[in-house]
Amino acid sequence: MPDTSVMIRDTAKKLLDEKRVDLIIGFERGTLPLRSTPCFIRTSEEIERLIWNATCENNLARYLRGRKEKVGIVAKGCDTRSIISLIKEKQVAREQLFIIGVPCHGMIDRRKIEARFDGKEILEADEITEGLILKGNDFTEIVDKAAFLHNSCNTCSYRNPIIYDILIGDEVEENRGIDEYGEVKEFEAQSADRRWQSFTNEISKCIRCYACRNACPLCYCQECFVDSSQPQWIGKTTNLSDTSIFHIVRAFHTAGRCVDCGACDQACPMGIDIRKLTKKIERDVKELFHYQAGVNLEDVPPLAAFSLDDPQQFIR
Amino acid sequence: MKEKKIAKSELTSFLDSLISEYKVFAPVKRDGFVAFQEIHSGSEALLDYANSKKPPKEIFLPQSEVLFTYRLGGEGLGIEEPSFEDEPMVIFGIRPCDARSLVILDNIFNSQEYKDVYYTNKREKTLVIAIGCNQPSSTCFCASLGGGPFSPEGSDLILIDIDEEYVVQPVTDKGERLVKKHSQFREVKPRGLSSMRKVTQKAEALIKSKVETGEVKKKLDRMFDDPFWDWLHEKCLGCAVCTYLCPTCHCFDIADEATDRGGRRVRIWDTCAFPLFTLEASGVNPRPTNKERMRQRVMHKFKHFVDNYNVAACVGCGRCIKECPVNLDIRAVLNSILNR
Amino acid sequence: MQDEKVDGWEPKIIAFLCNWCSYAGADLAGVGRFQYPPNTRIIRVPCSSRISPLLILKSLQRGADGVLVSGCHPGDCHYLSGNYVARRKFAILNNLLEYLGIEKGRVHFAWVSAAEGKRFAELITEITEEVRALGPAKELVKKPD
Repeated sequence: MPDTSVMIRDTAKKLLDEKRVDLIIGFERGTLPLRSTPCFIRTSEEIERLIWNATCENNLARYLRGRKEKVGIVAKGCDTRSIISLIKEKQVAREQLFIIGVPCHGMIDRRKIEARFDGKEILEADEITEGLILKGNDFTEIVDKAAFLHNSCNTCSYRNPIIYDILIGDEVEENRGIDEYGEVKEFEAQSADRRWQSFTNEISKCIRCYACRNACPLCYCQECFVDSSQPQWIGKTTNLSDTSIFHIVRAFHTAGRCVDCGACDQACPMGIDIRKLTKKIERDVKELFHYQAGVNLEDVPPLAAFSLDDPQQFIR
Repeated sequence: MKEKKIAKSELTSFLDSLISEYKVFAPVKRDGFVAFQEIHSGSEALLDYANSKKPPKEIFLPQSEVLFTYRLGGEGLGIEEPSFEDEPMVIFGIRPCDARSLVILDNIFNSQEYKDVYYTNKREKTLVIAIGCNQPSSTCFCASLGGGPFSPEGSDLILIDIDEEYVVQPVTDKGERLVKKHSQFREVKPRGLSSMRKVTQKAEALIKSKVETGEVKKKLDRMFDDPFWDWLHEKCLGCAVCTYLCPTCHCFDIADEATDRGGRRVRIWDTCAFPLFTLEASGVNPRPTNKERMRQRVMHKFKHFVDNYNVAACVGCGRCIKECPVNLDIRAVLNSILNR
Repeated sequence: MQDEKVDGWEPKIIAFLCNWCSYAGADLAGVGRFQYPPNTRIIRVPCSSRISPLLILKSLQRGADGVLVSGCHPGDCHYLSGNYVARRKFAILNNLLEYLGIEKGRVHFAWVSAAEGKRFAELITEITEEVRALGPAKELVKKPD
C-alpha cells in the first residue's frame, strides 16, 4: 500500500513538472480515522499530500465536468467507467485527461464498521495487509478488510481500470465469478406486497437532501426534475408518494449510465439502500439490451439507440 | 438551584409518569441510527448513545410542515390552517450542544421582533431535559463555541451520569418545578456531587478539538475577496448533508402544491448549498458557483450570525464532520482561516 | 388527492395516445361506433416517445387507477424511430415498477394503428376490466401527510 502512494506521487510530480497537466485530482489523508478526502494539487511541491489506501472511496470523476484545464485524475476501475460514460456524453474530452489508473481491492464501508462496534467510536485505524487495526477507547481489534467493504465493491467485476494513461502497480484479479445480482434476485423472490412494503419502509427514511444526486458523477442536469416548478412533477416534502417517485425517476435516469460506483449509497446520510433500484435497472439493461455502462468507448448508450427486435412481449 | 439525583433504576418510571402528562420525545434506535421520536413508554428511551443522526431541530422545524391548505368549493375559496395541539411536550435525553442550538434558533424564529407561530407553538410548550456527555466524540468541539459537554444553556434540566444514578441540575424554574413534582428525584449526597465533578472534568478534558472561533470572526470580517475561497470549495459536492443535519441551519423554502381543486402551502428544509437557492426569476444567480456558496455558508455561520445575534451559528456537535461524504472538516476550514 | 368511494367506484384510466396512429385509431372506433367503457380519458401526444416516466407516475400519483400508453406499430412511427426508442424506455420502466411491487395491470403499453378502431375499443374494454378487478389505486397515490 505505501508503494502505491509513492508511485502515485512520482507520477504526479512528473506530470506537474513536465506541465502535462494543470491539476491533479487525488486523495489525501482525512481528518478522521478510516477517512481520506479528495485533494486538488497544482504544484509539484504539494505531491506529498497524495495517498492511496482502502478508504479512497469517492468517485473523483464527479469533479471532471466543466473544466478547461488538463487534468490528471486518480481513478479506480469504477471511476474509469464513470469517466467513459462522461466522455460518451461529451461532458469531458479524453484529450483533457491523464488517467492515473489504480487497481482496487475494494473500499471500506465505515458504516459497516460502526455497526460492528455498535456505535463505539473508532479513534485510530491502521491498514495492514491482513486487515485493519482498529482502536477505540477501551478496545483494540484487528478485523478482516474483506468483511467490511462497500456492497458495490462486493459485487464489483471491474477492479482494474478500463482506460488509463498509466497503471499504478499490477493488475488485480477480477472477481468475475460472483453473482452480482444476488440481492436483486432475493428481492424479486418476495411477493409484490412485501416488495412495496420493503421499498416504502426504506424510502421513508429519506430527508430529500439529494446527496445521492449530488454525489453521482452522472447526475448533472442543469435543472433537475425535482426543482422544476412549471410543471411541478413532484412535491419537495417527505411525502411518501413524492419521495418514492423521486427515487424511481432518478434511478430511471441513470439507466444505461450508472456504473454502480456506490457514491450515492456512500453519500446518503440516512443509510438508504439506493442501489436496490439502480442494480435492478443495470441488470435489465444488460439482459434486455446487452449493454454495460462504461466498459468501452464505442458502444452507443442504450436509451439513445434501439434495435429492430428489442423485446416487447409486455406491449399488447 | 439545588441539585438532586435520580437513580437509573427509577428513570423509566419517571419517564412513564411524564408520558401520562406530556408528549415525550426521546432518542430511540431506528433503522440503524438514533432518532428523536415520540415514546409511549419509558423503557423505549435510549440512554447510552453518542448523538442522534438528525438534530432535534426537526421537532420544532420539521423537514415538511403544512402552513395551510385551501380548497375551491361551491362557496369559493376556503383556507384551513393547521390546528395547533395544546399538549405540552418534553424532549428528553437531548445533548447540551443540541439544547444550545434551540436557543440559537430562537434568535430567528422566536425573537422580540418576530415570532414564527409554527415554531413557537411547539417551542414554548416544550420542556428540555438534557443528558450531559461523559464521553464526547472526537468530532465534538462544543467547547470552542461557548458550549461544553455539560453546558446548561437551553435546557430546563440537565442530567449527569455518575454510573448508578444521575445528578440532576435544574436550570430554569420550569425544571425546578418538575423536579419538585416527581418523587423519583431525591437528595444527592456530597459523594455524588464529587463524582459528578470528576466525571465532568474528565469529559471536558476529552474535548481535544479547540478552535479560536472569536478570532475567526475577526479574520472573516476582512476575507470576502480572499483567494482562500477559490480552493476551499473544490472538493465540496454541494450535497447539502451538512446543512440538513446541522442543528442550527434553518433555511427553508415555501412551496405550493396545487391540484385543480385545492392544494396546500408547505414549508420545507432548503439549503444554501444548492444553486437553486439564490436563482432569481431573471435567471441571474448571485451565488453561481460552489465557491460563492461555500463562502456564504462559512461567513453566515461564523461572521454574519455573530454580527446579528452575537453568537456563532454552530454548536460544535460534529455531525457535518462525521457525515460529509468527502470529509470536508469545518474545524480544518476554521483553522485555515485563522492562519490567513 | 382522490376521494375514495367504495360503492359505485369506477376506475379512472388515463391513456396517452400518439397523434398519428393510436389517437386516429381511437377516432376510428368512434366513427365506426365501436362501444367501449367511458372510464378512459385520452391525452393526445405527438409520439409515444414523448412519454416520460414522469407523466406515467404523475398520473398514478394524482389518482389514476390505470395508465395506458399507446403508439404506432414498430416500423410505422410517423417520426420513423420514436416508438423504437420509447420501447426501450417502457421496458425498463415496466420492469422497475413491477419490481417495486406496483400491481401488474396498473400500467399498460400497446401498439394500435390508425386502422385498428375495433381493436382499440376491445383493448380499452379489456384494460378497464383489468383495472376494475384491481380496485382503486393505492400505492403511489399522494395522500396528505
